[in-house]
Amino acid sequence: MTVPSRPLLPGGEPPSRRAWLRAAALVPFALLGLARRNEAADYTSAAEVFDAVDRLEAELGAMLRALAARVPAARAFSRSLLADHETQRATRERLRRRLKLPPRARLGAGVAGDIKLSALRSSQEALVYAHAEGLPALGDPRAVDVMARHMVELSRHLTVIDLWIEGEGGGR
Amino acid sequence: MTDAAVGGSRRDFVLRIARAAGVSPFAMGVLDGTVKAVPPSEETDFAILYAAIALEHHAIALYDACLKDNVLEGGLKRYAVEFRGDHMGHRDTQIAIVEERGGRPPAPPSRPDLGSLGSPWEAVQAGLEVEVAAQKAYTALISQIRTKDYLLSAAFILVDEVRHMTVWRRVLGLKIY
Repeated sequence: MTVPSRPLLPGGEPPSRRAWLRAAALVPFALLGLARRNEAADYTSAAEVFDAVDRLEAELGAMLRALAARVPAARAFSRSLLADHETQRATRERLRRRLKLPPRARLGAGVAGDIKLSALRSSQEALVYAHAEGLPALGDPRAVDVMARHMVELSRHLTVIDLWIEGEGGGR
Repeated sequence: MTDAAVGGSRRDFVLRIARAAGVSPFAMGVLDGTVKAVPPSEETDFAILYAAIALEHHAIALYDACLKDNVLEGGLKRYAVEFRGDHMGHRDTQIAIVEERGGRPPAPPSRPDLGSLGSPWEAVQAGLEVEVAAQKAYTALISQIRTKDYLLSAAFILVDEVRHMTVWRRVLGLKIY
């Protein structure tokens, strides 16, 4: 397993034609379109959104920790994502207080079984979609702004996992 | 292209692309920070929709030009095809929302200012710039959206823009996590 980190084009300077052709050949086909959005969750309150996000983040966190323990090459990646989660969690706590919502429920660390990239992707995608589908239920522009920015970070993580899967020879 | 090269002038090129795409003064104000928040209204939604459609037109024109001139090959060309398709979907979704509300969506520019796209390097760099501009614009504008249906659409559009941006960053060897 290799988390994508090296460039497909050499950094700094435009590549030679040879390097370019190699890079072009390395990028696998990305499937057209995404079959999704058919089962959108219908959140009715900010509390419901935050609870769902907390739960999904905890599940994903357990998978990332298990991945880091089993796959040394994935440690930096897992650490980076978990650090982002921690920052987002603290920001959500402040949002909860601002919106006068109860604090986050205590969630166990979670136990991840055998980690497959496809399962990691599903978990990451669920967290991204909870943010997207939750925005209309927040009812507060500041909260929408913050959660949309979190969603941007999480969507980036999702794409890294997609690129990783593609690099392993799988499609999305 | 280093990350500093993108980051250092990011604000400028986001504004340059938004201006080139014909984004309205209101949306430009949100993007350049001179407009912080406005009361949610149908008018605000229209301004955001028009700005977003203008940016989508610009992105489609860019990928059209790259594909027409065969600047990109192999997997990179397939990414360009995928991303153009996404942008066409975003454009059509938002045009449908505008028309449903009785508005008149902006037409694509007849001669968009796309800059130089002579080499694959320039094409990917231009692709990254337009995706960063789109991502920044949607992120800045999304909290101003009044209606739930458009807010949900904009959220999923933003997810796509981040994907495009991250893929081009990886192609150029920039940090992605």
